[in-house]
Amino acid sequence: MKAKDIKLDFNELRKGGIIRQRQKGYFILRTRIPGGHLKARMLPKLMNIAERYGKGYIHLSTRQCIEVPWIPVRDIDRLIKELKRLGIEKGACGPRSRNVVACPGASVCRFGFLDTEALAARLDKKFFGKDVPKKFKIGLSGCMNSCSKPQENDIGFMAQGEPEVNLDLCIKCTLCAKVCGEVCKRGGREPAIVMDETKRPVYRKEFCFFEGDCVRVCPVNAWKTKRTGYAVFLGGKVGRFPAFGQKISDFVSEKEIGGIIKRAIDTYNEIGEKGERFGDAIKRVGMEEVKKKIL
Amino acid sequence: MNEIKPDEILDLKGVPCPMNFVKTKLKLEGMAKGKVLKIILDGGEPIQNVPASVRDDGHKVLKVEKAGEKWLVFVRKE
Repeated sequence: MKAKDIKLDFNELRKGGIIRQRQKGYFILRTRIPGGHLKARMLPKLMNIAERYGKGYIHLSTRQCIEVPWIPVRDIDRLIKELKRLGIEKGACGPRSRNVVACPGASVCRFGFLDTEALAARLDKKFFGKDVPKKFKIGLSGCMNSCSKPQENDIGFMAQGEPEVNLDLCIKCTLCAKVCGEVCKRGGREPAIVMDETKRPVYRKEFCFFEGDCVRVCPVNAWKTKRTGYAVFLGGKVGRFPAFGQKISDFVSEKEIGGIIKRAIDTYNEIGEKGERFGDAIKRVGMEEVKKKIL
Repeated sequence: MNEIKPDEILDLKGVPCPMNFVKTKLKLEGMAKGKVLKIILDGGEPIQNVPASVRDDGHKVLKVEKAGEKWLVFVRKE
């Protein structure tokens, strides 16, 4: 079969994670790996694909997916059939929602408040590959360290925890106030924990930003996490005119997240012009308007 | 609480994380249940991490106090 005899709908291919390479006649296969969580038994299959169809290497994408470059155009049909057989899912590109990015969260990380990895898998099932004006990125992080950078996504969720103290267990070590004071000072904030004259902690919720250092540092578990939830960031992007997502809510429960994302995608499709990112559309329409539709 | 008499002392001045916790863990493993270990730690990361890690291993932190630039931590082996 000659190259000119191969009819390819580039848009259709892009939808299915096959991306045109800068070199003529070659394509990149993008896979779909929500939260970067991949069963190890998939690795030999991907190795096999990279060696037989590509050049024997893979690329790890910034959204936690595996990409296989250098797929010759004549092999694409065969590749797609083989991927189906192997259970390798193709990723998203073009004007649609992308791979959900997440840190491992509470599954293994000692900082994580909530299991972002499991949440990524659930959200992926519901929201992967939806059509939008430009692209739609979802990012989840299990704590304020923001390793997975939820603020750079069109919608980002960052787990948070509200602490409470049981003074009966306190041994007056002052470590909670120490770590809280240091963190708050770095951000130019009033500390949320101060010591009274008997060296016992006084919690001032109005200054707390729910990041959990007091609970982690307490050597006797006097501090506990009272409730957890997600802070929601909207309209983040990088590109030519980068902007962090703006926080629109605190302590949203996992149950509420599905509805929030659905309404965010609907709103984006309603207000966004073709080729416009959600953050830019929000700037045009006004955050308050958009918030009303989503929360 | 002020009169805790340690059975063993472990000086971890200048020992960075996570080696200070590893040494603490090994020391505690060699001690009998109910015995008290006094650990001397640097400020900053060491004092913020070691007592919490000891707690996570199920031991009882009896007292934490500052002594000049150092911190003293009293742990009962459980």
